[in-house]
Amino acid sequence: MKELAGLRSEVPRPEPSGLRAEEERLRAAFAASPAAAPAARPWRRWSAPRLLVAGGMVAAAGAGVLVTVNGSGEDGDGRDGRVVHVMPVAAERVLTKAADNAGRSRELRPRVGQYLVFESRSMNQVEYNSAAGHARYLSRTHRKVWYPVKGTSVDGVIIGRSLEPRPYPGWPIPPEAREQAKEPGQGKPERLADFDQRAPFLRTDYAYLSTLPTTPAGMYEHLYTQLGHGPAADAEAWNRVSGMLREAYLPAAQRAALFRAAAAIPGATTVGTARDAYGRTGVAAARTNPSLGFREEYIFDRETYQYLGMRTTVTDAAKAKAPVGSVVASSALLKVEVADTAPSPVARRGPG
Amino acid sequence: MSETSRNGPEEADDASVIERSRRDPEAFAEIFRRHAPDIKRYVVRRLGPDAAEDVVAETFLAAFRQRDRYDLRRAHARPWLYGIATNLVGRHVRDEVRQLRVLQRTGADPVTESFTERSDERVSAGALRRSLAASLAALPTGHRDALLLVAWGGLTYAETAQALDVRVGTVRSRVNRARKGLRKSLGEVAPAVSKSEESIRG
Repeated sequence: MKELAGLRSEVPRPEPSGLRAEEERLRAAFAASPAAAPAARPWRRWSAPRLLVAGGMVAAAGAGVLVTVNGSGEDGDGRDGRVVHVMPVAAERVLTKAADNAGRSRELRPRVGQYLVFESRSMNQVEYNSAAGHARYLSRTHRKVWYPVKGTSVDGVIIGRSLEPRPYPGWPIPPEAREQAKEPGQGKPERLADFDQRAPFLRTDYAYLSTLPTTPAGMYEHLYTQLGHGPAADAEAWNRVSGMLREAYLPAAQRAALFRAAAAIPGATTVGTARDAYGRTGVAAARTNPSLGFREEYIFDRETYQYLGMRTTVTDAAKAKAPVGSVVASSALLKVEVADTAPSPVARRGPG
Repeated sequence: MSETSRNGPEEADDASVIERSRRDPEAFAEIFRRHAPDIKRYVVRRLGPDAAEDVVAETFLAAFRQRDRYDLRRAHARPWLYGIATNLVGRHVRDEVRQLRVLQRTGADPVTESFTERSDERVSAGALRRSLAASLAALPTGHRDALLLVAWGGLTYAETAQALDVRVGTVRSRVNRARKGLRKSLGEVAPAVSKSEESIRG
């Protein structure tokens, strides 16, 4: 009937832009779908009949998708030669589950001009030489940062508070460490950074992260941008993941792709349980860096597989100068939200 | 996903696309491109834009996960998708009724308030909208679903039956009874009622 058909008829049929959130969640599910396992196309191209006969088994065990790092990037940043990375099919379990769950949480929809606000805790190693000799301790901070949705950290604002320091395993806490917690400027908004020297492809603002590939293979390629082969490249690729997790927010599709790509980095393993800097226990994916003697762990909630935080655990006592199993760095992401404005920075942080 | 054209004869039908998406998940994006705009408008009209975002996302996620069970003999996915969406709208039935009651009481529609720039055409019909809202709010859920799939979704009775997984006869009787209720309440504000029959999609 005409009257009913006219009721609420002013609601428009949305343009594709009005369906972006829905489409992103669907695309995250594509990335998480088992049928989306890479390899489909490349191994079919190979003509060896033996491979074709063996079908999926051989493809899953040996192949993978051929990923190329563009030799001459569109941005003309002068990369030399083509580096081909094969994304392995083997995948770490925790990150795979995190990818499966990437589309389940409610999406934030920050717009350019707004800020993403991250509240976190972190514990980091501080090492220096003073009159009293060589000192090491673990400094702890509670911080809230406002990152512009588009732009660098120079336009960001931080409110930080020092917490009671902890000893570096086996080392005394130097007296200066406790002084830090009493420094002026605690709890006041400050500029986040005076400069941001990250390469353009390592930016972590939402506007940039939204442009990254939504396929695991594409994201794998991104993680290896300008990297060669071997353990050092794998360690750096793993490290780049941390930059996109710590104080960064990706759309669900990119998040799922990131977790799947990280799960395929050679050396990624599963750690039973791990505690973040806030004391929350979860399950972790980890990669050991033998040259440093540490294992870098990304921790996820054991039920929702939401990212909780990260942790660095000693695996080589001699290299780390701390007992095996001790934790020398950690962080916890407590809250992410969108804000229209950021506080005005009041003063510059003093030198040092 | 930039095209908005409906699938013409040269395009593969929905069933072929869904069949392909079982091997190549990305292919399912085509189903989204074809149907998400209409589904979204339908859900927004029932629940408002806020709840609609979640419902529409969940609709296509559910459809994607169920694609292996889709009956490939059905060339068009429209009824299937509207059925999933209507089920999910059902989880918000209290919110839907609450908003209809607000419209009934105040004449202001919480569902359409963010589309106010288009409000001119509806201002004149205040009393009519209020009594339509009252009638819709009073309907049993299954009846409201059938009526709105026909009136707002543009589905035929047969498609509505598919969407709700009931017999065509059930849809016909639900819609007729719902219409009778609407006519009765409309009679009190607008004696001249259109007698246009069920909408048939072209």
